[in-house]
Amino acid sequence: MSVVLGRDERSAPPVSAAPTARAPQRRVARAGRRRPWLGLLYLAPGLVLYSLVVLVPAGQSVWLSFFHWNGVTAATWAGFSNYSGFFGDPTLRAAAEHTLVFLLFFSAVPVVLGLISAALSSSKRVRAGGVFRSVVFIPQTLTPAVTAVVWKRIYEPDGPINDFLKAIGLGGFARTWLGDYNWALPALGLIGTWAGFGLCTVLFLAGMQNIPSELYDAARVDGAGPIREFFTVTLPGLRGPIAVVLTVTVVGAIRVFDIVWLTTRGGPGTTTVTPTLLLYDRAFTNPDIGSAAAIGVVISIISLLVTMVIVKVAGRES
Amino acid sequence: MISARERVWSYAILFVVAVGVLFPLIWVLLDALSPNASGAMDLSHLRWDNFATAWTQAGFTTYLKSSVIITGSVLVIGTFVAILSGYAFGVLGVVGQKLLFPLVLLGLMLPMEAFIVPLYYDFQSYGITDTYRGIVLAHVGMGISFGAFWMSTAFKAVPKSISECAEMDGANSWSQLWRIYLPIARPALVTLLLLSFLWTWNDYFLALILVSDPAHQPITLGLGAFSGRYLVHLNLLSAAAIMIATPVVLLCLLFQRHFIRGMLSGAVKE
Repeated sequence: MSVVLGRDERSAPPVSAAPTARAPQRRVARAGRRRPWLGLLYLAPGLVLYSLVVLVPAGQSVWLSFFHWNGVTAATWAGFSNYSGFFGDPTLRAAAEHTLVFLLFFSAVPVVLGLISAALSSSKRVRAGGVFRSVVFIPQTLTPAVTAVVWKRIYEPDGPINDFLKAIGLGGFARTWLGDYNWALPALGLIGTWAGFGLCTVLFLAGMQNIPSELYDAARVDGAGPIREFFTVTLPGLRGPIAVVLTVTVVGAIRVFDIVWLTTRGGPGTTTVTPTLLLYDRAFTNPDIGSAAAIGVVISIISLLVTMVIVKVAGRES
Repeated sequence: MISARERVWSYAILFVVAVGVLFPLIWVLLDALSPNASGAMDLSHLRWDNFATAWTQAGFTTYLKSSVIITGSVLVIGTFVAILSGYAFGVLGVVGQKLLFPLVLLGLMLPMEAFIVPLYYDFQSYGITDTYRGIVLAHVGMGISFGAFWMSTAFKAVPKSISECAEMDGANSWSQLWRIYLPIARPALVTLLLLSFLWTWNDYFLALILVSDPAHQPITLGLGAFSGRYLVHLNLLSAAAIMIATPVVLLCLLFQRHFIRGMLSGAVKE
């Protein structure tokens, strides 16, 4: 195993740095020379499949978003009315607001928790760091269908949370968590935190291995305690991994679907609907395909902007 | 350099966090072994046959077959195409690379929501919804951005002097790829295979939309359907969930470092 692992560890490509299109070549005329027409031939199958599945439908999404269409009868021109729904349509607005809550639970909290547990479990502090890393990584590898089964069980009326509350005399707080108008949304958010912070921890730990230990020694010599050490050495050294984790988790929060679909389906009422849930509903259940396409376009544009801003900020500061 | 008090606090906090993460999983594991449909714990009567019962009642054999067919096809076809595309971008160069490479990379950042709605209706008009062909095509097409990026980076790192020798020996581009570049890039290939496996095997959203015929659905949808029907048999439901999760969890823990490397290098996908 380690033989396979070891070989290219150091030559792993840099974080989010897209390789330059044309690496400088010393001996262009001889071996390894560029043969772009032959290259196009090699690329052709990938390009065709990519266009068929991603590019062309993405273009169609934009086109469809300007129509009213129920999938059966003829489509009619809608102008921007599918987009103005984000302001006028109460369900859509609710979904956008829930996204803000999910940003907190799926991104902010996992990143902070991940930073703390990575700092605490680094190899120079504790022995069992490897075990801890594996444990917190497990939720990340579960398929959403399994996560949903697990948490529906935890949150159900006879589940451990309510049992615990009753045992300590707070039975009045016991409730059907996922069926509660006020609590369903944060209850779902907690699932996201549980599933996501392990990935943050593991990626931060990997990044911390690249921070020279002399920096820590220097900080200690200067009399820095664990807290100051974290802010002056660890945090600045993790800029790359933080950018990756923020990108993944923020986009994940914007697109929440699986776990909500498998537990509350947006309910009770519309208290847990998400933009992607509405996209699914309007595309396939109650066809209003133009509106579904518009939701998809908006989610995509926001995701692209977020990704670009995070990558840019992380790049500028380094 | 670390004081004893600091160390004790570190262990204490980490222990609490680890218990918090494991608690729901252990609870469900105990449910799965319970003789009661309500999942009530009964450690003196552990029912290991719950697993077999759940497997049969959920019809997992069919679902598992579909998952294996879909994931296997995606791994073979997707990896083959990724190797060719990566070789094109990383070694041979491509006509219009300045335009085409960013265009392919765009797919790394584009969420599925950008194209899923028309994709469904396109596939419907081709008649490939509810087929293995359709879902495999969708997975492969979506995976090309990462595959091409990942393999081109790996191929670029291969020293020029090696391919130079091969060229002098008269090896053409095809045999150079398979005999020289790919063996050197093998660790990157393992990472690619692992990530593709995980993304395809664990997928729920794409299959939910493109495959509504239970005979062609993967096991993730099988569990979803089972949990809809079997809410009253919590022990069987838990057993089913654990059977689906365990192999993937073990595989991921085993290959954890590959996974991390892929993520840190721009696998900004899920």
